[in-house]
Amino acid sequence: MAKSEKELIAALQDAVIHYKVEEARKLANEAVASGADAYKMTMEGLAGGMEVVSEKFDSHEYFVPETLLCAKALYAALDILKPHIKAKAGDKKGQVVLGVMQGDVHDLGKNLIKAIFESAGWIVHDLGRDVPLKKFVDEQLRTDSDIVMLSAMMTTSMVGMKKLIPMIKEKNPNVKIMIGGSPVSEKTVDEYGADSTADNAPNALREAMAMLDALRKGLAKA
Amino acid sequence: MAKEMSSLERVAVGITQRGKSVPDMVPVCPVLCGATHRFSGISYGEWSRGIDVDSFVKGHVDSLNMIGHDGFAMLVDLSVEAGEFGQEVIFPEMDTAHPNYDNPFIKTPDDYAKIKKIDWRKSGRMKFVVDCIKALSAEIGKTHAMMGFVYGSLGTLSMMRGPEKFFMDLVECPEKVIPALQIMDEVLNDYAIAQAEAGAHGVVYDNLYASESILSKPLWEKFEGKGMKMVCDSIQKAGSLVVHHNCGNGIYFDKIIEWGHPDLVSHAYVADDVDSWEEHKKKWGLATATMGWIPPGPVAMLGTPEEIEEECKAELEIYMKDGGYVLATGCEYGPNAPLRNAVRIVEARNKYGVYA
Repeated sequence: MAKSEKELIAALQDAVIHYKVEEARKLANEAVASGADAYKMTMEGLAGGMEVVSEKFDSHEYFVPETLLCAKALYAALDILKPHIKAKAGDKKGQVVLGVMQGDVHDLGKNLIKAIFESAGWIVHDLGRDVPLKKFVDEQLRTDSDIVMLSAMMTTSMVGMKKLIPMIKEKNPNVKIMIGGSPVSEKTVDEYGADSTADNAPNALREAMAMLDALRKGLAKA
Repeated sequence: MAKEMSSLERVAVGITQRGKSVPDMVPVCPVLCGATHRFSGISYGEWSRGIDVDSFVKGHVDSLNMIGHDGFAMLVDLSVEAGEFGQEVIFPEMDTAHPNYDNPFIKTPDDYAKIKKIDWRKSGRMKFVVDCIKALSAEIGKTHAMMGFVYGSLGTLSMMRGPEKFFMDLVECPEKVIPALQIMDEVLNDYAIAQAEAGAHGVVYDNLYASESILSKPLWEKFEGKGMKMVCDSIQKAGSLVVHHNCGNGIYFDKIIEWGHPDLVSHAYVADDVDSWEEHKKKWGLATATMGWIPPGPVAMLGTPEEIEEECKAELEIYMKDGGYVLATGCEYGPNAPLRNAVRIVEARNKYGVYA
């Protein structure tokens, strides 16, 4: 018997939480075949599951390997559901440009951020690792993204942020900039003129949502 | 005040006599590794390639003389071991060398079988490290503390697969990962012994993944516990101090002590079962000595002179009592950080780290 929408959502959540990649793929195909709302499946099923994963990560029930596997299950289903999601009028998601600083190839944290943000419905423009400074500026302008997120794991690459942040702000003073990585702290945020930092992916999402909210309230007032 | 000690005596007493006796001053070692290339007369890229023992030695000796720290570790960069096992390594002129993650040696889980035993004596950079230890031992071995360095098998193998895929493999196909780790452990064991025999007073084993930042405790233990024990037992047997480095958050001190009996742990954050450095000292301060925890980015690199002094003072106040403490950065001193700040760390030790 075909599953109801409610059952499909619960099953998708379970597949993400327990990193059942094949099951997630199978359920996504089942949802599409049954004509279920792909947007609802994504947001309530996949993102709902990833929310639980974030909680488990925060409470040290899950660590990096488990979280990566959950993201793998999420993407397996998302690849199938995405072409069936219909854009809704007035449903504007946050957009973020994301990348690892020039000279740095450590992209694990960046990839976790991408998974968490995409699961929460954000549009992520992932520039990858070892990204030339100007590429961040160009991509922000091209996509009109709300937030630029810069990652660095080494002090040698972190220093590039000091040069890059004014370059981005000069072109678009309204854009918010979040920086992260092991050498980055609140002090770096102040020193380099960024707007925020976060010590893990779930916290980055919380910070980004607060920044997006502030941005949109500010724009509404203007 | 106790009679003035040599740097080597200071480090030895500071580490091994914790709870029983204290040196004249707290030892200070701001983890100057890549930064010493700036004393060597060659570029960072040339320094990292490991082809010029004389310049490498000059870099460390001159930095000791000019900065005034008590000891150092022989870390070139974390890709030394991976490179010798077959991973392509990129050597930027101005940045730290690293694996080419676009061309991992292990492209599929079946490729773990490609890991073969190697002989460090016939290698490039692993042999270079041992040669540098020998040369440095002759230069400063009687006056300053010198620690060898081994990047653990989990970290090394992750560099050859790419960390993301590697972490998933640990869960999805452990039976393919474990034999590769066992081969590496044997090679690293031989390598660590060679460093001790070449004159390193201690050998650092980097167990980065033994922390809440990356792996659960059982998963870390399953993959690295036994291998680390073999290497650390050998270091001890060879007459060197066992030193661990871990700059992750929430380090599994119970497990690293159980498997790797460190005399000293160089770390940036406290153990997973405590909430503060005061608690950390109370719980773990007698079990092992601590080296840390000045933040390399915000303080050692970006800090004002006042901020550096304040941080050092605060750390010394918490941890120097009864010995068992080395004032240091929590991870490598930024290769590009101002060298004057390393001097400020030594000056702060001279001001606040003298035992009465």
